[in-house]
Amino acid sequence: MLHYAVRRFALAALIVFVAVTAMFLMIRAVPGDPVQIMLGPRATPELQARLTAELALDQPIWNQLAIFYGNLLQGDLGVDVFSGRPVTSIVLQQLPYTLELIVASILWSASLGIALGAYAAAHPNTLIDRITAAVSVAFVAAPAFVVALLSLLVFAVHLRWFPAIGVGDGVLDRLNHLVLPAFAIGLSWVGYVARLVRASMLEVMGENHIRTARAFGLSERRIVMIYALRIAILPVVTVIGVGIGFLLSSAVFAEIVFARPGLGKLVIDSITTRNYPIVMGAVLVSTTLFVVSTALADLINAWLDPRARSTV
Amino acid sequence: MSKPRSELHLILTGVARDPLGLMGLIIVGTIVFCALFASWITPHDPIGMNIQDRLQGPSLTYLLGTDQLGRDTFSRVIAGGQVALKVALPAVFGAMTIGLTLGMIAGYGPKWLDNLLMLFFDTIRSFPTVMFALAVVALVGPSLQTVVLVVMATSIPTYGRVARTQTLTLRNSEFILAERSMGASMARILGVHMLPNIVGVLAVLAAMDIPTVIALEAGLSFLGLGVKPPTPSWGALLKDGYSLIRQTPWLVVGGGLPIILATLGFTFLGESLRDVVDPKLRKQR
Amino acid sequence: MSDSLLEIDRLSVDYETARGDLKALRDITFDVKKGEIVGIVGESGCGKSTLISSILRLTAPNTRFREGEVRFKGQDLLTLPERKMRDLRGADISIVFQDPMQTHNPVLSVGRQMVDIQHRSSASRADKRRRAAQMLGAVGIPDPEARLDQFPHEFSGGMRQRIAIAMALISEPSLLIADEPTTALDATLEVQVIERLRELQQEYNCAILFISHHLGVIAELCDRVVVMYAGAVVESGEVREIFHNPKHPYTRRLIDCDPGHIKERARVLPTIPGEVPDLANLPQGCIFQDRCDQAMPRCAGDVPPLTTLKVGHQAACWLNQMEDPV
Repeated sequence: MLHYAVRRFALAALIVFVAVTAMFLMIRAVPGDPVQIMLGPRATPELQARLTAELALDQPIWNQLAIFYGNLLQGDLGVDVFSGRPVTSIVLQQLPYTLELIVASILWSASLGIALGAYAAAHPNTLIDRITAAVSVAFVAAPAFVVALLSLLVFAVHLRWFPAIGVGDGVLDRLNHLVLPAFAIGLSWVGYVARLVRASMLEVMGENHIRTARAFGLSERRIVMIYALRIAILPVVTVIGVGIGFLLSSAVFAEIVFARPGLGKLVIDSITTRNYPIVMGAVLVSTTLFVVSTALADLINAWLDPRARSTV
Repeated sequence: MSKPRSELHLILTGVARDPLGLMGLIIVGTIVFCALFASWITPHDPIGMNIQDRLQGPSLTYLLGTDQLGRDTFSRVIAGGQVALKVALPAVFGAMTIGLTLGMIAGYGPKWLDNLLMLFFDTIRSFPTVMFALAVVALVGPSLQTVVLVVMATSIPTYGRVARTQTLTLRNSEFILAERSMGASMARILGVHMLPNIVGVLAVLAAMDIPTVIALEAGLSFLGLGVKPPTPSWGALLKDGYSLIRQTPWLVVGGGLPIILATLGFTFLGESLRDVVDPKLRKQR
Repeated sequence: MSDSLLEIDRLSVDYETARGDLKALRDITFDVKKGEIVGIVGESGCGKSTLISSILRLTAPNTRFREGEVRFKGQDLLTLPERKMRDLRGADISIVFQDPMQTHNPVLSVGRQMVDIQHRSSASRADKRRRAAQMLGAVGIPDPEARLDQFPHEFSGGMRQRIAIAMALISEPSLLIADEPTTALDATLEVQVIERLRELQQEYNCAILFISHHLGVIAELCDRVVVMYAGAVVESGEVREIFHNPKHPYTRRLIDCDPGHIKERARVLPTIPGEVPDLANLPQGCIFQDRCDQAMPRCAGDVPPLTTLKVGHQAACWLNQMEDPV
């Protein structure tokens, strides 16, 4: 298990390394003065001079990359073009809002999706199964930002059940402000997870060991809830790990629509003001977050599945 | 694929027999039809302004009302479909072609190349799609081409991975081994024997990928980073609708519904195609 | 008949399919007495699996019991309420399935599964664990206490099959159904498992219904044997009698085909030519006629009944009725 964890995180580190290097080279590949491109047209001459020195543009590109990584490993992602504040602290300040939104979305959508999927699989071809299937497809089909807009329109503007913008103060108010955004970006996941669990449950329920459990007179409830679900849930864990990436994407829209602070809002605002160091910093942090969550999901999976634990 | 007509006919009959597939076929057919004949269908000029009639509700003249500049929402919805397909089709086709090529190389080539390509796929996938798109747009500026490019780049790994898996499976299948033992060239094996077997699977994937692409284009346009105004796009409609959400609900509805419909249509069609073409695919994804 | 534990009485089972009703079992009659080992032989597709699932009533949803009874201790299992039926499964009737690699839940430890199947017992968890370890020891798994915490994939195929036997015997059932328990194992392991099964049978004095397509194993282990073909019983009787004096052409062919019987080692493995008849569309007359080299006009006319040739030997073939007319 430890061996596997080390290997999995080494792979994650490699992927982050390649991704960041690719991004670095991509910036260099855009024609024009890198300082201009990285800082945008709004930077002060002092800042341009400082960056020119920092980037060591007179040196070969591999040295530049080394310097870039040197700074990165010290947690230095550059500075805000306007305020001169370090990008790292600006990004880290916004990160919790996005994480809060993502965690809330996963929690409600995965639990509902698993319950629906398991129920549908235990009662295949019943009315509830059919309704779940149809609704799942419809949910999956709805892109997060469209759902966000429509729910803003219906529940905030017209019905006024929930606040339209901001994150709120205090625990209850914060939760209240989370409802609509989390609903919007979690909705398609309910259907997706439900379909996944249903398919995977039906497959597991057809396996021989379930027949064994029945032959020993175990109750149907225990067979479904423990013997089958424990296996059927495994692909969901992997999917949720990958799903963090999709949710990071959806969160951008939710943050814009509901005017919430967060990584996505930060990036969009920074693109509008051409504050490029912040854009790059935020993209880098979200990429790392995604890669780490995928690796974590694989580890949890290995921990839940004794077969994966010993073979890898 | 020596007799594509009859095969296509078989597949279409199979899809039409499935109620959801038929529904998908009808929705997708309508969207494609509207996009092809947009200039005949639109009752008004989608970018023609008429300030006296701004922000109207639905009426017989303006089926879905008008926006803040008095442009007819219905006409913009129809024309927006054209833009959506203009982005989605080349992007999906490009991603499929590149993904197929890389995937087959990974599956058939030497191990080190396979590892390298897999690392490449993993790297692209490691960027959250929208974040990646934003980074690219920030660097090269928003335009229709940028959107196509970004969408293409982000979906290459999906096709690549499936093509690789298929190639690996086929590579060890008996008929390929037989061909190889008879001295068939690599080009012949890949082109004549493997390609037809992989393209079908990828086509199904492509049908299911189109909604994602349409949503991404609309999303970027909604953020003001996709198709530039005044070009009518579903995302741009939503962008206007968002800023006017307290004045009129019709822009959000008019921009949102076609996206949901298109997604539903292509998803139904894709799933039905998958069941007809290759039931085994059900498990993958 | 009072010492009969299990009586299958004129059992006929259909599968409802798109092609029409598949007559999977027709008029099956035999019994298993207390403490007796009865073997069932036949090629794949002869209805062995349908028979087992009918006894346990773990059948596919499209199964229909058309006729007959399955009596266990005098009680018809086919009309028993599901709840009562569940009380029997794994308690008084246990089963060891064919494929040891897939018979256990892969993500739960062996100990957990062995404790779970004692769900009817009111003993403490620790006691159930002790009992599980004791059973593992009884089937010859070394260091059972420690191995309870391991997962199925950490055991070899032979060990997994022994675990399955331990699980089946944990409740000391009066009937153990063994569905080709050794097919997936190699020859050495097969012998070990058979030996163990025989020892345990003597120790617990349970009856065993042993399904196999391997005649050698049946001959070694069983008291009586039932030969099935295409969903019907074609011959049954004492093992010794059937092997030395087979009275149905199919049985004779089976014995000829058995690898144990081939002196010159497998130069050409004899097989029975022809195919099993379509169960959805049965031919008139004897079901074996197309593959039988002794078929006569009469075989195409009527189905030969299962008739008693002498005490402890029954066969369903018209040939027997010509040789010794009653």
